[in-house]
Amino acid sequence: MSLLDPEVEGGAIEALYARGVTDGLPVVPPTRERVARAVAACGRARDAVIALVPPNYGPATVEKIAVNAVMAGCRPEYLPVVIAAVEAVCDEAFDLHGVSATTNAPAPLVVVNGPVRAALDINCGAGVFGPGWRANATIGRALRLVCVNVGGATPGVVSMSTLAHPGRYTYCIGEYEEASPWESLCVEHGFAPGRNTVAVLAADAPLGVYDHQSRTPEDLLATIAASLAVVSHHKMTHWGDTLLVLSPEHARIIGDAGWKKADARRWLWERLQRPVRELVPGKDGGEGLPEHVLRKFNDPATETTLIPKFRAPENLKLVVAGGTAGRFSAIVPGWTFSKASALVFRPIHTP
Amino acid sequence: MSEYLDPTASVAVPRKTAPRSASLDGKTVTLLDISKAKGDHLLDRIEELLRERARPKAIVRKKKPTFARPAPDGLRTEIVGATDVLIEALAD
Repeated sequence: MSLLDPEVEGGAIEALYARGVTDGLPVVPPTRERVARAVAACGRARDAVIALVPPNYGPATVEKIAVNAVMAGCRPEYLPVVIAAVEAVCDEAFDLHGVSATTNAPAPLVVVNGPVRAALDINCGAGVFGPGWRANATIGRALRLVCVNVGGATPGVVSMSTLAHPGRYTYCIGEYEEASPWESLCVEHGFAPGRNTVAVLAADAPLGVYDHQSRTPEDLLATIAASLAVVSHHKMTHWGDTLLVLSPEHARIIGDAGWKKADARRWLWERLQRPVRELVPGKDGGEGLPEHVLRKFNDPATETTLIPKFRAPENLKLVVAGGTAGRFSAIVPGWTFSKASALVFRPIHTP
Repeated sequence: MSEYLDPTASVAVPRKTAPRSASLDGKTVTLLDISKAKGDHLLDRIEELLRERARPKAIVRKKKPTFARPAPDGLRTEIVGATDVLIEALAD
């Protein structure tokens, strides 16, 4: 048998689809040779257990991750990034059990920081959420395949998302650190500059925010705040980690005015507060503050106490990415209500 | 397929549902609220109906801290050791 025999390969692709171990797109058949090359490239023992993957808690060994990475189309040198992402989503704080089983739509978004972005050609620039870059396309896809094949998150069987979203095929970006006026996401979270890391967020699809006219931080952030206000639904409060992906042009408006990330976060957090009287269920929609919060007030319908949209300014995570031309940003809402998921980091261990 | 490695790590075992009680008379029934909105409304009504139509020994109310995560081990052990019947409410 030749590895490149199209008939054999074609048969394997069909057989793998029939077994229900793909995402619906054709996969690269995981031959022993291909998997061995990927394992060798990561410099770790093939039988080392990286994590137990919820909800079935299947053991994700280096080799098992490599099999899925090969199927996703990863080059061998991508494997350390995939391994770090698997480790991250299996952290208790990420709540992969909930992420994989919920009727809501989250998919793990992988954000890569560090020199590994250039080494592996991970796109941080134009079209950052879109197709065209093998590393972005296949690293995110490999993580998804591990969640299904090792974690048991089979769509329609265990994974019961009502709608899901296209990020469940693949969802991986690099931060455009070189175009950012600020420290990177991972440095902001305690990693030394130059470290390679992944951050994972249980995330909705990106919501575009267009603002071509603003030239001051206050103007631009007011536009962005109005879009952040509708995350989940317009009366949702006390939300957690959510990513604000600023294009380089938008980031510069804020950075050139001397604002730090913390200044922008604080401004947004303060802006995104509404009085109880606007948040009662039945006013502008059936959703609203939960009963245990409403009980704290004598007359919620007239109460002026302000309730924040996000639990703390630190829940607003700023990342710079995208093409250098264009005044577009994106909000990537987390599945991060109280006691649910949170942004999780892991260092990438390259051999 | 033998020349290709298996991408799965199946640890899932086929589960059987617990045997159903023929009667609720004299049984301890636990009503588990998973913390979804209005789950308590549903369970309140079920409790009313149980008291009306059956003669359970006791009706115990338990609540998960959040619907977003599995029940904590302590809560599971507590329920398994002390109930004959479990009714779990999903709502919204």
